[in-house]
Amino acid sequence: MVSLNKRIFASVAAVAALSMGLAGCGSSGSDSNASSDPNEKVEITYMHRLPDNAGMTTVDSIVKQWNKEHPNIHVKATKFNGNASDMIKKLETDVKSGNAPDLAQVGYSELPEVYTKGMLEDVTQYAEQYKSDFASGPFNLMQVGGKYYGLPQDTGPLVYFYNKKAFDDLGISVPKTQSELLDAAKKAAAAGKYIMSFQADEAGNMLTGLAGASGEWYTIKDDAWVVNTMTKGSKSVAKVFQDLLDSKAVATNPRWDPSFDASLQKEQLIGTVGAAWEAPLLMQSIGESGKGNWAVAQLGDWFDNAGKTGPDGGSGVAVLKGCKHSKEAMEFLDWFNTQVDALISQGLVVAANSKDAKTPEEWKTYYDGQDIMQEFIKANENMGQFTYIPGFSAVATAMTDAASKASTGSQSMLSIFEAAQSTSIDTLKDYGLSIAE
Amino acid sequence: MSATTQTAVKRRGSSTKRSKAFRREERTGWAFMAPFCILFLVVFVIPIIWAIYQSFFQQVATGGGAYGGGSLENKFVGFANFQYVVTSSAFWQGIGRVLIYTVIQVPLMIIVALALAMLLDSLIVKHVSGFRLLYFLPYAIPGVVASIIWVFLYNDQISPIVKFLEMFGVHPDFFASNAVIASMANITTWTFTGYNMLIFLAALQAIPHELYEAARIDGANGWQIAWRIKLPNVRGAALLAMLLSIVGTIQLFNEPQVMQTADPSISDSFTPMMMALNTSRGSLTPKGDGPASAIAIVMALIAGLLAAAYAIVERKVNES
Repeated sequence: MVSLNKRIFASVAAVAALSMGLAGCGSSGSDSNASSDPNEKVEITYMHRLPDNAGMTTVDSIVKQWNKEHPNIHVKATKFNGNASDMIKKLETDVKSGNAPDLAQVGYSELPEVYTKGMLEDVTQYAEQYKSDFASGPFNLMQVGGKYYGLPQDTGPLVYFYNKKAFDDLGISVPKTQSELLDAAKKAAAAGKYIMSFQADEAGNMLTGLAGASGEWYTIKDDAWVVNTMTKGSKSVAKVFQDLLDSKAVATNPRWDPSFDASLQKEQLIGTVGAAWEAPLLMQSIGESGKGNWAVAQLGDWFDNAGKTGPDGGSGVAVLKGCKHSKEAMEFLDWFNTQVDALISQGLVVAANSKDAKTPEEWKTYYDGQDIMQEFIKANENMGQFTYIPGFSAVATAMTDAASKASTGSQSMLSIFEAAQSTSIDTLKDYGLSIAE
Repeated sequence: MSATTQTAVKRRGSSTKRSKAFRREERTGWAFMAPFCILFLVVFVIPIIWAIYQSFFQQVATGGGAYGGGSLENKFVGFANFQYVVTSSAFWQGIGRVLIYTVIQVPLMIIVALALAMLLDSLIVKHVSGFRLLYFLPYAIPGVVASIIWVFLYNDQISPIVKFLEMFGVHPDFFASNAVIASMANITTWTFTGYNMLIFLAALQAIPHELYEAARIDGANGWQIAWRIKLPNVRGAALLAMLLSIVGTIQLFNEPQVMQTADPSISDSFTPMMMALNTSRGSLTPKGDGPASAIAIVMALIAGLLAAAYAIVERKVNES
């Protein structure tokens, strides 16, 4: 037991050592601004959380190519092994001590928080020229209050993944309306199968996206936040999942628990809402036995969303405060984020404006020849606008807590959105931000 | 410890005559102490002072507007963070959980460890070192890894344990809200029993064997030797093991943090340690290092009080 202490110290020491090893922008040899000498060699550091798994085009190899073609802008990429909130914490400390990387991956839902924490460099003057390279929705997610802080990398529109073969066996098809969804789910449940999953651990991201498909929670009026998480969309999401839960027609395994994968492998769970970036993850989860059976479809009009979908995840790369070569950093970033094929191999649905984004061969064979990238692009274009507040991670945590209680029936589904409302207001107050009452 | 050395040095220094040899010896002594002192200062004393300093601040946006102008400022808030901690129901629920955990897990583990140690000591078999290694082995597995292994063993769809029990018609749910603490306690017990057994075994083997011989000559049997000689002689070791275990379980972190992936009903403030981490990360409100430091300090005070209380009670019992 004594080692609990030691272990925590060890990990703190490891993090400290890691941050010392990261050369900041300031160490690039020049303390003047970038424009002074066009032949001067600048050093750009970039920290990311991309998977870099086997079979993918690694970030290092993409960066290597850039470095070969641009001898004057040398980029050094570092992978952060850990989750988003750990990375933000680390970057926050690094920015304070002046040795943060120049570029860092930041989720769209985290960008306002990172801005409020004073970690971003205004790059509006360089962003404009790259506007046409990216889809307008994600491009605008990299701005806060009218100023731009980086460029978008990937998006996470919610889509529907389903086991087509199992659907055919049951004689059901992808539901179009809310009542069709409920009927199909109950029919499947009678045969011991689920066509929907309620993932308590992903509630903060996914339910927000589903509710957000039909309208925003957070708007700004006269420089103050108007918070309303009890929208028509939220109530509809609560109603549908409550109905499904009450009639035992929904799987309640947490998304990142091994039992979720087991349920897919046993063909118990045969359909689930998921973010586009889950396509390769689900391939791993389902395994070889489901190969060729699964397909991707757009969400139906299940939650009063009128054919729209919402965001779940997705990231951009932001320029961090203290970067002395913003111009060169943005030049690299624009190039990097438009390396479509390489980024797709990392499992991303790219934010770059590219109609010819190709579905990787491996995915195509898995999803029975379907060109799923086209489905994702379609969902992307159908995505409702959604603004996150600074400190949204605390809202997501509160929603997860409420959702885990709702999934066991000790609380109602609606209480998830009530928790979101009160936590949103508490969090904004804690940050010292204005709220319109 | 270093404080007493220092005063001793000062006293000697004040006496006017000091031989060269003595001063050199003194320097050598400090040189040997230096690695410990520097590390102790850097990784222990300074972080604690820093945490205490931070606990009086909160970070707030002062720029106004919806996004707060793009920087946070450290605002001195006096004891507001401590007031938040001691009035937070989430914090006391967390303390309540670890206390229940401590009360169940620590005595169980210590008794099992002691029993195993006495068994090994009394057998005096050739294979003591083999058994010792075997019992100690789980401790060699990092706590996080052990937790991950057990998460799989608890999983109702893939666990061999669940499958085995289901053959007898038992359907266990290791993640049920009334079982989850016991499931965690099981992981800790599995990991640390061997470690504590080692403490006891070392204490047992340090007992002079003449005592046993004398007892046998006086006609004591095996039980009496165990009860009257061995047990009283490992009291010091038991106190040490109990104190370490109490302080350790108050800081319960690895098990719930890992099990959270399998069970979202384990909240971000399940134990005080998790609450401190998630407050500092910003996934709990109020956020930031100020409130997080306050949680850590209050938790340390409670752990210190409990350990002190245990030590005092133990001494009283021993005296009587």
